[in-house]
Amino acid sequence: MSTNPPETEEASEDAATPLSAYVERIAAAVGATSASQELDTAKLRVESSDWYGAVEAARAEGLTMFEFISAIDWANDVAVGDEPEDEVEERYEMLCALTDVDQRQTIILSTDLPKEGATIASVEPLFPGAQWHERESHEMFGIAFDGISSDANLYLPDEFEGYPLRKSFALLSREVKPWPGDVDVEDMPEKPAPTGPSTENPGA
Amino acid sequence: MESLLENFWIVLVLKLLTVALLVPVAGLIIGYAELKISAHMQARVGPYFAGGRYGWAQLIADGVKFFQKEDIIPAEADRPVFKYAPILVLISAVSLFVVIPFGPGDALVVRNLDLGIFFALAISSVGTIGVLMAGWSSANKYSLIGGLRAAGQLIAYELPMVLSVIGVVILAETMSLNGIVEAQIEWGMPFVIPQAVAFVVFFIAALAEMSRIPFDMPIAESELTTGYLTEYTGFRFLFFFLGEFANMFTFAAIAATLFLGGYAPAGAEVFGITIPGLTGPIWLSLKIGVLVFVMIWTRWTWPRLREDQLQTFAWKWLVPIGLANIVVTAVMKVLF
Amino acid sequence: MLDAQAMAQISETSVAVELETSDMTLNIGPQHPSTHGVLRLVAKVDGEVITDVRPILGYMHRGYEKISEVRTYPQVIALINRIDWTSGYANEIPFVVAAERLMGIEVPERAQWIRLILTEMTRISAHLLFMGSFPLELGATTPLMFALRDRERVLDVLESVTGGRFHPNFNRIGGIKPAAGAGKEQKKLTQDLPAGFFTETEAAMDGVIASTDQLEKLLRKNEIFVARTKGIGVLPPEVALSYGVTGPNLRASGVPYDLRNETDYLPYDQVDFEIPVGTEGDSFDRWWVRLAEIRQSANIVKQAIQKVPSGPLQAKVPKIIKVPKGETYVRAEVPKGVMGYYLVSEGGQGPYRVKIRTASFSNLSMLPWILEGVIVPDLLAVMGSLDFVLGDVDR
Repeated sequence: MSTNPPETEEASEDAATPLSAYVERIAAAVGATSASQELDTAKLRVESSDWYGAVEAARAEGLTMFEFISAIDWANDVAVGDEPEDEVEERYEMLCALTDVDQRQTIILSTDLPKEGATIASVEPLFPGAQWHERESHEMFGIAFDGISSDANLYLPDEFEGYPLRKSFALLSREVKPWPGDVDVEDMPEKPAPTGPSTENPGA
Repeated sequence: MESLLENFWIVLVLKLLTVALLVPVAGLIIGYAELKISAHMQARVGPYFAGGRYGWAQLIADGVKFFQKEDIIPAEADRPVFKYAPILVLISAVSLFVVIPFGPGDALVVRNLDLGIFFALAISSVGTIGVLMAGWSSANKYSLIGGLRAAGQLIAYELPMVLSVIGVVILAETMSLNGIVEAQIEWGMPFVIPQAVAFVVFFIAALAEMSRIPFDMPIAESELTTGYLTEYTGFRFLFFFLGEFANMFTFAAIAATLFLGGYAPAGAEVFGITIPGLTGPIWLSLKIGVLVFVMIWTRWTWPRLREDQLQTFAWKWLVPIGLANIVVTAVMKVLF
Repeated sequence: MLDAQAMAQISETSVAVELETSDMTLNIGPQHPSTHGVLRLVAKVDGEVITDVRPILGYMHRGYEKISEVRTYPQVIALINRIDWTSGYANEIPFVVAAERLMGIEVPERAQWIRLILTEMTRISAHLLFMGSFPLELGATTPLMFALRDRERVLDVLESVTGGRFHPNFNRIGGIKPAAGAGKEQKKLTQDLPAGFFTETEAAMDGVIASTDQLEKLLRKNEIFVARTKGIGVLPPEVALSYGVTGPNLRASGVPYDLRNETDYLPYDQVDFEIPVGTEGDSFDRWWVRLAEIRQSANIVKQAIQKVPSGPLQAKVPKIIKVPKGETYVRAEVPKGVMGYYLVSEGGQGPYRVKIRTASFSNLSMLPWILEGVIVPDLLAVMGSLDFVLGDVDR
């Protein structure tokens, strides 16, 4: 059964799924400003100044497994891909997913960072595994992490310029040569050159 | 004709030529056997096309290939040492043949030395010097670690090997390899029966000296790429390769001579059968074949030990066992 | 004549000189036969003991997260096959499920069961590869051949359905692709699986179970294998969780965390299986857990082929797939551990952002911790047992 996209959206706006008791408990513990739980994804919004405290509180509540840290670049003017449907607030959204292996719950903490001088506290002291994820966010988005033990590039060469996962970063090779998969049917080739030795080539 | 065969120099040259031919041929046969046996142990077919049938020419083709390859010497390498290391390894393997008797009397042995087994054990260590040279001169950290591991292994396993041989020498009352075979015929049993413990110790120590799995830490391709072999190409690599198979052959020959009755026909010791001496090489080859098969079997079944586990095994197990074996053998010898 | 004080000083100095050893920096990789691809380790070693190790990544970085932003949803499926090339099929599942959930599509049951069967067969083939490569790193070559022999049969079955051995690219949003060569009729009906698929699969699974017995006999009580792996690279559960280690590596440490029995991305609740859990968290346990998982997966496949219902393969989806605005985080248990896609859609034909959480990336991030104080020969006994794929690390 196919669903009409606008309907789904309205439905989700009108009747937001009620939060489960678990998510409500965590939301209270981390001091979330708002919470949502849709399609099995529980997302808690916290203040960026309280990022470290929120992660620490979540860990204390039993969310001891570290899943990932990453970011989303919300931009209205994009160099690659589709633009957002509605106008969005220009910002980076930080995401941190944590799992409680006993209760079988996963929570995503989220906060906003400004585009200019995005800086956030590193949670490496809480989850040593966060270091690689934060380094990745650092080199891909240019977000600075306070208190990280090393922010050396994980993937990119040291001399690399730019932040590839920012929406303003164009895929240069595709600028030069459009990806052939963009069109389903290729243009017919030009009329084949007349056979026989070319007279234009002086070497012939 | 008579006089020709009695001329010392002509006989010596003939014998040396035979040995010089025997080593590559034995190496090829064992190499081929290893390819085929390992293949059948691993649900594979092994070489199949070279030579038309059963891939019998595979190793010859490999050898030709090695000679065609460029002989690369790393820029930082210690050139003369790097060049001669493989030759030293091969020489050590060939020299071991000098004392191995293929039949009774002086006819089928290059030199029947009075200190035959002593000579064999001494020469077998020279190969490790070649390995150490290769590791040192390659100017490569992996090679160096491999060479040093080989040296450490030699020191650790030379001792149990010598200790295990002493038991045999006590029983045979001679160090000549011919004498040891004769003693076994006289005893009416191969020494593997009274000296079973020594045989096991000798065999394990021989595997370690040859750096074969489970003792192949000097090569350990997953840790050290290929250890001291890392920088070698072409025919120098081939020399190491041949040296390995020649070493298998010689160590199996020594083990067969010391413990399995050497050239004497199986059962001859027990039933007192005497078969003309010329069948000696055949019997010895059969015994070598059995031992080589066990070596191949081990190699394709087991993982490798760790360097410290290998040392622990040598010093804490094999050396005490070897010493205890000497004491027990000596006491028995005095009592009976 | 030296007085006593000077003598003491001299002897002290000489002791200090003797004990002073310089650290050697050993560069392992990226072209090294044992590192599963292009991982480079810069290790500081004091004698044989590793004091510090720095993994250097990026040799396989293909920027899939970025490329996904300029591809349509069906095109992304082809990309993510290549993240972990030993389990290409399993990688597709969480992404496809994420898109389906955002679109509100109910996938037909038949497609779900076929997805389950193929996922488990992918798990078997990936684990069998580990069963071969791990002993190989310890110097045993024979298990590799035994494992690959039966892995080949599994891949043959996989290929007969999907047309691909490593990169099936078989899932479509809303269901699965009709089998290769199926006509128009077959698209709607049930003849998507090749003739003889069930008997062939059953036979392959029996072969796999026999092969695990053989591998167990060969190694489980082998003194050298046990000496090399027992007590080596012990990973306590708390450390594993704080680094986000998942999959068999986590279960070997005693945490029975397996997404297959807690989320409903595939109908795992309708089959019986156990979750093998280790006790020590050492290299041996990691080997053993994977061996036990192969058996469980083979049993799952055997049960599942009895349960495949007839019915359509595809839900009705528009010709041009547009995913409505929304975000979701969908995870699945792939052979290497937990793989998750944080999918952000802005209503376009392609994702606005995809965060790919791969298992090997988190599993490997723990490497500096676990390798500290390990001696060089154990490096491989530890690294090999973690079973990572560099494509899965670098993405």
